[in-house]
Amino acid sequence: MENLIELLGRFFANTGFALADYRYIIMIVVGIIFIYLGIEKQYEPLLLIPIGFGILMGNIPVFKGLGLAIYEDNSVLHYLYFGVTSGVYPPLIFLGIGAMTDFSTMLARPLLMLLGAAAQMGIFLTFLGALALGFPPNEAAAIGIIGGADGPTAIFLTAKLAPTLIGPIAVAAYSYMALVPVIQPPIMKLLTSREERLIRMEEPREVTKREKIIFPIIGFLLCCFLAPAALPLLGMLFFGNLLKECVVAERLAVAARTSIIDSVTILLGLTVGASTQGDVFLTPASVKIFVLGAVSFCVATACGLLFAKFINLFLKEKINPLLGAAGVSAVPDSARVVQHVGHQEDPTNFLLMHAMAPNVSGVIGSAIAAGVLWSFMAAPM
Amino acid sequence: MNGLEAIAYYNGWAISVVGISIVFTGLTMLSIIISQLHKMLDFWDNRHDFRERIKNARKEEIIADISLYPDIKGTARQFKLLTERLGEPFPLPELLELSEKCHLAHPHRTINALLQAKLLVPDDKGYYLWNQKVK
Repeated sequence: MENLIELLGRFFANTGFALADYRYIIMIVVGIIFIYLGIEKQYEPLLLIPIGFGILMGNIPVFKGLGLAIYEDNSVLHYLYFGVTSGVYPPLIFLGIGAMTDFSTMLARPLLMLLGAAAQMGIFLTFLGALALGFPPNEAAAIGIIGGADGPTAIFLTAKLAPTLIGPIAVAAYSYMALVPVIQPPIMKLLTSREERLIRMEEPREVTKREKIIFPIIGFLLCCFLAPAALPLLGMLFFGNLLKECVVAERLAVAARTSIIDSVTILLGLTVGASTQGDVFLTPASVKIFVLGAVSFCVATACGLLFAKFINLFLKEKINPLLGAAGVSAVPDSARVVQHVGHQEDPTNFLLMHAMAPNVSGVIGSAIAAGVLWSFMAAPM
Repeated sequence: MNGLEAIAYYNGWAISVVGISIVFTGLTMLSIIISQLHKMLDFWDNRHDFRERIKNARKEEIIADISLYPDIKGTARQFKLLTERLGEPFPLPELLELSEKCHLAHPHRTINALLQAKLLVPDDKGYYLWNQKVK
């Protein structure tokens, strides 16, 4: 009988109930909130549900040494997490994004690409903010990239520059991406007048198939000659797009935009979520990262909007400044938010198609910014 | 280290300015190229027509002009003899003066006809020379 009780006692000592402390409980609550937001509010469900469940998986307190936790060598989660820490998953996601992105509106109105560039100012301003808060430059660069609102890029750069911060940065980046419909509209309304929000955009010209095929090749060569460190991301993005547009490799394009991106999203979301183990994740640095991430996102949105207003000073045919907010590269959510805000003012004004131009150029811009920051940090000035 | 001191110490200002400039340069160059892409493709598609059109336009222009003045080639030969003395390129007032001295008929009108027929062409420096493309 004593043996039985001792055995039960030892078993209980190794269960999650005995090993848990408040940090695990906090993170489990966060995970449940993510799942709730994903399912009930439908904020980026494809990301928030895997990340939310990953947070639950990563915060089951486990007996150290069994090879169960994500940070333990030889654990299954550790192997899956290798795709994140080595920077393998983000380029594969970019492949899928490329294979599902239509660059037509951007090709029809290349001027709108500049809005995508302007929104990247948020990255560099947050970089400065992170330096000012005492982060070393490599970590500051990884934090700054949250402002690009591009989860895969944030993870990729963090894996290269500050692997210990992958958890908080990835969660911050994806959380804010999911919260685009909440974060952006107040800034958009604050920085634009009603008259500006009512501006109608001219119908874009029709783009030929040949232009669409040539664009990924030119885009890849130009961007990667300029910022070679962006090669893994932009190479895959433009390759995916070439597969889509060339038509003759439709099977590969379909694979890239369905099975490959879906599989990688599951693995990435789950392992990033699992990397938020309470005892590792809940630190003052994580809190600072979340605050800086939010600031970064807001600054990026504001920069895009203000730049759109700025170029309107020189244009005969004004552009709707709301499009500037789509320069943050949360594809296609920020474009949808632009459409939503524009639609609230004038239900007959359709901005979604136009907003896709700065939105996809923002993806290119944030990847270039990541490449630039990586090259600067790899060879400090 | 914190604050502005940290930014300055780690070259934060320089990195940010250069970084955003590179992003802008990249996307601006790309936007310029793609804004011209459809024009370049159109030009490439119609390159044969375009060449033909230029050739025809030149021919038509020259033939049409010469046809306005039936005896212009003979007159041009006379004036060419004069300009041999002046050398090419030559100023028109000197050609006019010389033609008056040599008692050629209606020198003003004739030089004007040579100009309109594009047998005499400006060299963009204020002088004139004979159009070599017209035989």
